Amino acid sequence: MTPTEAIPLLVVVLLLVSIGGGDVGAMSVTFEGDHEVDTRADVHVVAGGTTTVPDDATLDGDVYVIGGTAAVDGTVDGDVTLLNGNLSVSDGATVTGTVQSYSGSATVSPEASVGRVSQFEPPTPSSSPTQRVGGFLLQFLGLAAFGWWLVERHPRVVANVGAAISDHALVSGAVGSLGATSLLVLFVYMAFTLILLPLAIVGLIAEFLVILYGQAAFGYLIGTRLPIERDGVATVAGIGAFLLLLELLGAVPYLGGIAQVALAVVGFGAVLNSYFGLQRFEPVTIPGGS
Amino acid sequence: MELLTHLRRRRWPTVAGYGLFVALMVAGYYYNITFVQLGLIDLGTRLVGLSETAVSMWMATLALVTLVVAVLTGVTMDRRGWSNQFRTKLQLLFGVVCVQFVLTFVAPMIRTVPAFGVWIVVASIGLGVGFPVSFALAIDLVPVPDRGYVAAGITAIAYFIANAIPLSWSIDVFSRLMVVAMAPGIVVLAVLSFTSFDRLDAILDALASQSDSFGTGRFCDDEPVRARQLSFVVPVVLMFGVFFIDSLGFLRIIDTPSLLLSSWQSPQLSTRLFIAVAHVVGAVLAGVIYANYSLSRIFLWTFALFALTHVMYTSDLRFAAVFPSIAGDGTSPLNPALYAIAVSFYTTLNFALWPDLSTPETIGTHAAIGIGVAGWLATFSSTALALYFQAAELTLLSHLNVVQALSLLLLFGLAVGLYARRMVDLARAGGEVGA
Repeated sequence: MTPTEAIPLLVVVLLLVSIGGGDVGAMSVTFEGDHEVDTRADVHVVAGGTTTVPDDATLDGDVYVIGGTAAVDGTVDGDVTLLNGNLSVSDGATVTGTVQSYSGSATVSPEASVGRVSQFEPPTPSSSPTQRVGGFLLQFLGLAAFGWWLVERHPRVVANVGAAISDHALVSGAVGSLGATSLLVLFVYMAFTLILLPLAIVGLIAEFLVILYGQAAFGYLIGTRLPIERDGVATVAGIGAFLLLLELLGAVPYLGGIAQVALAVVGFGAVLNSYFGLQRFEPVTIPGGS
Repeated sequence: MELLTHLRRRRWPTVAGYGLFVALMVAGYYYNITFVQLGLIDLGTRLVGLSETAVSMWMATLALVTLVVAVLTGVTMDRRGWSNQFRTKLQLLFGVVCVQFVLTFVAPMIRTVPAFGVWIVVASIGLGVGFPVSFALAIDLVPVPDRGYVAAGITAIAYFIANAIPLSWSIDVFSRLMVVAMAPGIVVLAVLSFTSFDRLDAILDALASQSDSFGTGRFCDDEPVRARQLSFVVPVVLMFGVFFIDSLGFLRIIDTPSLLLSSWQSPQLSTRLFIAVAHVVGAVLAGVIYANYSLSRIFLWTFALFALTHVMYTSDLRFAAVFPSIAGDGTSPLNPALYAIAVSFYTTLNFALWPDLSTPETIGTHAAIGIGVAGWLATFSSTALALYFQAAELTLLSHLNVVQALSLLLLFGLAVGLYARRMVDLARAGGEVGA
């Protein structure tokens, strides 16, 4: 695992530690080689190699596995969280807290004493149609309310974003992909400084909201082409149609995903190019054009 | 895009002009980034037996002589009116390609330092004549609104080929490939330069006449930009900064096996292909932004991308310093991919900028000063500084830390400069209103 690959998962660990609210004085991180766990630390992160809690040892603290292998043969007085890599809790081992696995491979012996074993199940689109419809409706209601408010109260703003999408899709896509990627990298690195962690979280949320804003603008554009007189209603209908289109695209392997990303970056770029709709985007005029 | 209009209206000579310009520039740039920048290091160290430091000094000499020859060539072209004579430029280019062909063919046979030195000087003369001439062809062949897209095409093709085709960085391999590639190019250039028959003459005359409409660059529409004006000097300084940062950082990166073998010289084709695609993406994005925004915006993006790239590289190294057990693991392909996007950005800008800051009367001088000072002088200076760092036994992290500091400084300086200019504009407008 390279530092660049480890950083995002380490940030997740830091976030989980922060949310946990415990008093953390020291943290150990293992990247390679075979080690027995350092009992002086409060949090143990396994990012590579193999880390073992020997059968005669008691570890007071939490263990996070983001790569490599963690083998619990003794006692862990805390939680064990598996984000990536391998985890084994052998016969006779004890974990007083929860063994929580999100990804990777976890083997918990039935002879081990574990407070609670929890397996994170990511919501799979096909698992529950009711859940899918519910999620879709929730997204639609939120976005539709925003779109309605925008069109009724600030029609010029959404029209400017829409114009940046319809008239300058390529430019919006270019700026959107550059802006979204650069900001994402920037926020991840900001998070790693810990000092800027709150700002990074706010930034990531803001980036997500900008994408939603772009989606609302797409809905507005579709709405203007529908035979509905009231702008607000047309936009709500357009947003519904757009979200439905995104769902349909999601069903197409590979190309559907690419199209979804392309729509997201075009919307993102259009919002940025039009200064959130405050100004109509006009590219520079180059002399000599036909 | 104007090209689509020309295609729709079946203006085939104009369309062929696009193709000719792209082919010539791709060939020239590919030759520069592979044979000149990488092949000569192998020639000097492995076949001639020089130390890396000595080869770097010869490379710096090449950069300096190229700059001097280029400025002399550019000024001569403008004074004698060659900049505006399409056939003359093709004939000059034919001469340059012939010289480079011979030099490329004999390069793997060089074994002594004097022969290496003579080779360097002759190659510098060829390069110095070649690049103002080739850039001056833009005023005949590429419409002003399409220069960003054409520059993006050149950058994307050259870097994609350079990265996706797994060549060993050896002078023998480069020489064989270049000789085979240059031979048909020489024939084509010979036909275009010296033969005469009705159909060819008609096409060449049509292309030559295009400079009337394509000649005046995007930034010279109101009034021609002069080499002493700030509107020319500032882009030269900024481009110098970009080339300097890139060269200073890259010289150390390619000197670090763990970084090199996990990126540009990776044994895995997928990694090289990833970097090649990143170059293409960067070039396309730069082309779109160049064609739709002001010059300051693309400079800002370029500096921001370089700053971000070096922040990522140095963060990885700092991380590895804190956890030394992973220091030998190499890096993620994300870092070189971001680096590739940044490099494609400024390369695209470099291909479009100098013709756009010129008129048919100034293209030779402006291209020579622009690329000479920004490109070659920056390479010379960064090589000298890299040698000093090497002598001072600076660590990889310290070296890249300097590069990161410079890139952040340029980003900050440009942002402040633009803000200050806006303030001056507002103050002036306020003064007029008040008066």
